[in-house]
Amino acid sequence: MKLTIVLCLSLLLAGSVFGQKAEKIVIDGSTTVGPIAKAFAEYYMKNNPGVNITVSESGSGNGAKSIVNGSCQVASMSRLMKANEYEAAIGSEVLPVTHVVALDGIAMIVHPGNPVKKMTVDQVKQVYLGKIANWKQLGGPDKPIIIISRDTNSGTYETFEGKVMKGEKIAKNCEYVGSNGAIRQRVQSTPNALGYVGIGFIDNTVKALEINDVYPTPETVRKGTYPIARPLYMITNDYPKMGSHLYQFVSMYLTKKGQEIIEEIGFVPVTAY
Amino acid sequence: MKEKQNTLILSKGASRWRRLASFCLQGTLLVVTSLSLVAVLFIIYYIARDAWPFFQLNGLKEFFTSTHWYPSRHPEEFGALSIFVGSGLVTLTSILIAVPLGIAAAICLSDILPFHVRQMVKPVIEILAAIPSVAFGFFALVVFAPLLQSNGGTFLTIAFLIMAFPVSTIGLMIISKLLADRFKKDAKAVRIGAFLLLAAPVAWGMIRVCHILIRIPINSGTNTLNVSVILAVMALPTIVSVAEDALQSAGRELREGSYALGATRAETIFKVVIPAAGSGIIAAVILGVMRSIGETMVVWMASGNAAQIPDPWFNILQPVRTLTATIAGDMGEADQVTGSARYHVLFAMALCLLLFSFLSNLISEWIVNRSRKKLGLK
Amino acid sequence: MSIVLLAASLMILIGPIFINGSKAFIFRSTIEFRRLMLEEFARGSPERIEGEFNSCRQARQPVFAMLARFEADLDRMEYKEKSGYRKPFRELKDRLRLLLGPLPGEPEAVMLRQRFGQTRWDRALLCLREIQYQEEWDYSDSSSMGRKVYRPRIEEWRGTSIEPLFSYLSRNLDAMLNPKVTFYWRFLFDTSRDSHFFGGIWPEILGTFYLTIGTMIFAIPMGIIAAIYLAEFAREGGIVSLLRSCISTLAGVPSIVFGLFGLAFFINAVHLSRSKSVLIGSATLALLILPTIIRSSEEAIRAVPQTYKEAALSLGASPIRTVFTVIIPAALPGILTGIVISMGRAAGETAPIIFTAAVSVGNPLKIWETLSQPTPALPWNIYNLATEHEAVDQIRHVQYGMVLTLVLLVLLLNLTAILLRARVSKKLHG
Repeated sequence: MKLTIVLCLSLLLAGSVFGQKAEKIVIDGSTTVGPIAKAFAEYYMKNNPGVNITVSESGSGNGAKSIVNGSCQVASMSRLMKANEYEAAIGSEVLPVTHVVALDGIAMIVHPGNPVKKMTVDQVKQVYLGKIANWKQLGGPDKPIIIISRDTNSGTYETFEGKVMKGEKIAKNCEYVGSNGAIRQRVQSTPNALGYVGIGFIDNTVKALEINDVYPTPETVRKGTYPIARPLYMITNDYPKMGSHLYQFVSMYLTKKGQEIIEEIGFVPVTAY
Repeated sequence: MKEKQNTLILSKGASRWRRLASFCLQGTLLVVTSLSLVAVLFIIYYIARDAWPFFQLNGLKEFFTSTHWYPSRHPEEFGALSIFVGSGLVTLTSILIAVPLGIAAAICLSDILPFHVRQMVKPVIEILAAIPSVAFGFFALVVFAPLLQSNGGTFLTIAFLIMAFPVSTIGLMIISKLLADRFKKDAKAVRIGAFLLLAAPVAWGMIRVCHILIRIPINSGTNTLNVSVILAVMALPTIVSVAEDALQSAGRELREGSYALGATRAETIFKVVIPAAGSGIIAAVILGVMRSIGETMVVWMASGNAAQIPDPWFNILQPVRTLTATIAGDMGEADQVTGSARYHVLFAMALCLLLFSFLSNLISEWIVNRSRKKLGLK
Repeated sequence: MSIVLLAASLMILIGPIFINGSKAFIFRSTIEFRRLMLEEFARGSPERIEGEFNSCRQARQPVFAMLARFEADLDRMEYKEKSGYRKPFRELKDRLRLLLGPLPGEPEAVMLRQRFGQTRWDRALLCLREIQYQEEWDYSDSSSMGRKVYRPRIEEWRGTSIEPLFSYLSRNLDAMLNPKVTFYWRFLFDTSRDSHFFGGIWPEILGTFYLTIGTMIFAIPMGIIAAIYLAEFAREGGIVSLLRSCISTLAGVPSIVFGLFGLAFFINAVHLSRSKSVLIGSATLALLILPTIIRSSEEAIRAVPQTYKEAALSLGASPIRTVFTVIIPAALPGILTGIVISMGRAAGETAPIIFTAAVSVGNPLKIWETLSQPTPALPWNIYNLATEHEAVDQIRHVQYGMVLTLVLLVLLLNLTAILLRARVSKKLHG
């Protein structure tokens, strides 16, 4: 009994030795911007040991909510704030300032064993509406299409809904998962699946399709030829005070190192023209 | 069960001061204990408080009868019927798997197996009960789902055989016994003959079913079947331990009386012990149901989260969405600042879950109390 | 028979977790791993590692020489030939970078994961396979999805100076990477680097620890007092039976409803802390395990023989004194069993902490920070890494390691409880 108490106390003391951070920055929001936020956070914390940055990735909507009620300093979002979010912000005396940190495209991905190489935006829409339900209607084998979408708290989902579905309802048998990584994982292990992810999440375990004959790469996104492209945002409450840690963090995307990080993750730096 | 004697009530001769102190003390203890009552009330109040605006805005009809779940469209649609059906389907399937296995295991543990085997099995059950649900969910997503996808047919066939083989054997034995009793001739020979005669078509039928099953492709590994099997494994320890307690509390006298009257072991078990422990077994099943319906992580990770009613409704190879997974997953977008319907609908779902668990609790307590009264406060 | 199924399912469940989880701790690590440890965590002797790295560098020299030679060849080629080789060459260099780390003469990459080659030997072998074989899909069968076919890449490079690269790589990979079996027990104590690509899981373990201790601080006093009241002082009547049914109701509430209640009450209504925090998470978890503690404590107190109480009272002790000096110590093992089992439950629960205390990435907290800051925790991060991470299959070993740690923690707690219980029954039954 005494030994347990001693052990507990010593663990608590040990816990207090680690982590000597004073200032904190809380980031909340999109899972698409998440890798960028995490990489920025790690890089920044390395060069400024007195700052503790925590990142949660629970969806763009949650990021907006958190910045409005003051529980985070930076909201990472893959869509702009909606009208009611702006209203709520102004109502709580929060002035949202939007920084565009990177550009992104939404790629349609399939299992690498799927022979289909390209689709049009309209075909994607028909598939997600449920009207095209078999790969043979797209030139592939006779297998049912398993459609996977992001859960509705996602900015990626909102962009997809806006640019591809154009407001029509996704079919009921669509499976929903919680993040870009989850879509990629489902697609790479399910031969008949079709999903969508940000281009930073394409790797050699999935195959990206050409949409309207344009393949999703940083170049085509930057030039605007890829039809489903969008900016990625970080939102702060009013412009951060010059010279403060928050200011330096949020303007990291303008520095060379920041852009290298963005490129290494797979997204498109804003200034890469 | 002996009535607990309350030996700590003060005698009449104690001084007033002492009585006052004791009263205050008991009062404080009562207050602390009633914290649980307070907690339950608060939970009901706060969840209902945040759920009420949804019903005010949208009314009951759409929520309970429509199958269109599109909370982020404009206009939003909050038809949660398919989600309720999803929860129900998952619970039903997992109970169908878990209850026979659990009750059989409980019977084995309490009546059939020798003592030292029991001592070995109990820790296994406790360990299974203690494993965190997220570990089960991880297993379901990372190991089980790909297994189902690549070897779907094989898995279904094996599961079918595991279920059907003992059931058919026992069924055939019972039928052949009945037939033998009918004919009253050389019982044993007739029994064996009938058994073999009936076994042939049954075996052929099973082989046909296996052939069909092995060809079924499972397109998506995250579906009802996956979740139900894992939930059944999670609910089993609860069912087994509560059922076993119930069977044990039926008492040795009952069993000994039955043996004294000349009943065989099987007859004792099926005709005496189980009916006596009947209420306890039902309570165990209800507890299993409550566990399955309230589980979040496993269904969130492995059920596919498609808000649809599978077609046909018993097609367990299709993805579904449950109430708990919707609450956990959708909370991200919930916009409490603007008081949107999206936030409140999640609380409405939580309210439904809460009410269901209350009801189940009440029913199980009522059943147990009623049978206790019947058996004379046994 | 169903028992056999139960035991079998336990084996099937635990087996892969243990096997794959131990790979997070015991594996063959390469020189890159040791360099990482040196640079990031200042572990290991610089001279020895430098010496090892020099010999590895020597082994790698021919590869870089071949690359440089091909670059020169490329410059001299005709435009048409050049454009055919440019993309494969770039991809080859990317893959080599993944395997061996940055090629000489290149600027230092910003992200940690690109500054080192493969740290695990099993992944290095996978990389080698990637280099040597092109994974292609045979779409000839139109009735089914493509079949995977491995085409040796060496075919594309016939006749160039890259050709001997492939065989050289496969023969000399261990000279280039110097794999050795390591027991990375510090996995438990290192913070993670570069979103769990490297490093360990200390913040999560610490977070789980804080949450469990906090839950106990809230739940134990309330639970034991309630148990004492119910077992000793309560008179069976309306209020008491109401309380009892409330306790069993609380036990039946789904865990996600507790999470929502924590959000609605502790964060939104009472504002116990501005955002998510360990404090709120502990309070929510305490509500979850309160019924268990009350039930098991009450049972333990009731199991204390009457004679103890009667003896104490006959010696003139007041009821409250009897309780604290006689009954509680006698019932202590039973109470502790219940507490330890509840600790296991609290450590493993995810749903109550999703909205109240858990974040995916953060630094290990100091004690006073727990009142206002959220923390990563083992159960939540298992979910997060398994579904939401950007490189799920590359960090499989970390996921398994986390699951193993959590399962072992819970099993350890339960084993303690079982042992305690054995001691109790021995004591009470002579």
